[in-house]
Amino acid sequence: MKRPILWIHEEALGPANPALRAWPEAPALFVFDTRWIQNSRISRKRLGFLYETALELPLTLRKGDVVAEVLAFARRHQADGVVTSTGVDPRLQQIAEAIETELPLQELDPDPFVELSRPPRLGRFSRYWREAEPVVWESYSPAG
Amino acid sequence: MPTVQTTSIPGDLPRTFASRKELERLLVEEFPSAEGSLSPIRGGRQAAEAKLSQVNPARYAKSRNHLKGAVTGLSPYIRHGVLTLAEVRDAVFQRIRNRNDGSKLINELGWRDFWQRMWLDLGEGIHDDQEEPKTGHAASSYAKELPADVRDGTTGLACMDGFRDELVSTGWLHNHARMWMAAWLVHWRRVHWKAGADWFLEHLIDGDPASNHLSWQWVASTFSHKPYFFNRDNLVRYGGTRHCDDCSSVHRCPFDGSYEQLEGQLFAPMPAIRSTGNGRNRRDGRPGNSSVNRGRSGASAALARPKR
Ligand SMILES: Cc1cc2nc3c(=O)[nH]c(=O)nc-3n(C[C@H](O)[C@H](O)[C@H](O)COP(=O)(O)OP(=O)(O)OC[C@H]3O[C@@H](n4cnc5c(N)ncnc54)[C@H](O)[C@@H]3O)c2cc1C
Repeated sequence: MKRPILWIHEEALGPANPALRAWPEAPALFVFDTRWIQNSRISRKRLGFLYETALELPLTLRKGDVVAEVLAFARRHQADGVVTSTGVDPRLQQIAEAIETELPLQELDPDPFVELSRPPRLGRFSRYWREAEPVVWESYSPAG
Repeated sequence: MPTVQTTSIPGDLPRTFASRKELERLLVEEFPSAEGSLSPIRGGRQAAEAKLSQVNPARYAKSRNHLKGAVTGLSPYIRHGVLTLAEVRDAVFQRIRNRNDGSKLINELGWRDFWQRMWLDLGEGIHDDQEEPKTGHAASSYAKELPADVRDGTTGLACMDGFRDELVSTGWLHNHARMWMAAWLVHWRRVHWKAGADWFLEHLIDGDPASNHLSWQWVASTFSHKPYFFNRDNLVRYGGTRHCDDCSSVHRCPFDGSYEQLEGQLFAPMPAIRSTGNGRNRRDGRPGNSSVNRGRSGASAALARPKR
């Protein structure tokens, strides 16, 4: 990809967003997902929070169908692809998949809280934490 | 961060506002279906960093279960990646003198990471009961709709109506208030956890199906070995008496009583609740609360936390 646009979504609205870091000069878009907002009855409190957050980032703001808006933004900038951050929400994953049927899409992983050598056992927190806690603390050194 | 120059076209939403009022007006116009007003909690990295600079991990560890405790208020920012868990972790590391001072807060960040990993695993399945409820009541016996008096905050219980008001006006609630509300709705009002969880997501600025739905399921016992409930002593111990002081229901408080009494009232006898067990079949830990009494064998929940 030489001329991508960035799709910035609700899970990575900060300067640590890996797409913003990798492509600081690329045009970047945030879309208010009107279907989600209506179906989940998202209140104005959250919309205001998202809006104020987005205003502190170099983003174009739109609302509507996210896939259609991202593809239109790519055309507007004659982009050859889309870069985004990997999402956890299945809704964001579905949007990413739909974008990818039209344009090359690169998903970059955000910085992990803890990097484990193999997938941890989930199911109950204590199992996970037994494996994760010592690794989290590896990067800590008392100031003395 | 460099600002990218892009020329505006029709349909782009404005990026400059004279005031928050003006932003609110735009939101009313552009998103007419959304209800309510702006929250006093501001979005943005600056607000997030201001909150982060206030974090005191050692005080947090001592007081986090209290409504007035030194909790961070970072959840809306973490939920939206304004701050990453990695950034918060590093800020905690920089601020503590020893590991002990930070272990509680790091542990709570771990809860968020855990729920996120569970969501990746479960996908849309997060909306379903993970297990049968252990309350002695069939899943189908819980109401599917949120009662109107709960939604409107007119139940006559000063604590619950107060939490509802805070939820609706600010979009944030202390963890303990979330647990009490969830337990009251599911176990006292016999409303299915999903109705409460969806309502929370309408309002919570940090609303996130991972932390929210799975915490509700943990309370309901569809994702734990037994239901979470509480009594008035517990509420007063961590919330003070400010609600009870002017509560019209103070003399018929549904939370009055010992855990044994309430357990008998709320749940139909069921081996999984009654048994004191040997620790093997018990849920280990809870959504981030170390002083929760889970009824007869509940005091052991803390003991059942991972031992090191
Ligand atoms: C019924 C119920 C619903 C909940 N819904 C949500 C939700 O939608 N979104 C959400 O982020 N949290 C949710 N929580 C978890 C918890 O209540 C909030 O994360 C916490 O109260 C936020 O306040 P704080 O930032 O001051 O937390 P602090 O206690 O200061 O903790 C610091 C950070 O650690 C994480 N954290 C702390 N406790 C938990 C926890 N128990 N589970 C997961 N992460 C935790 C959060 O990211 C939080 O910002 C829910 C809990 C319950 C019982």
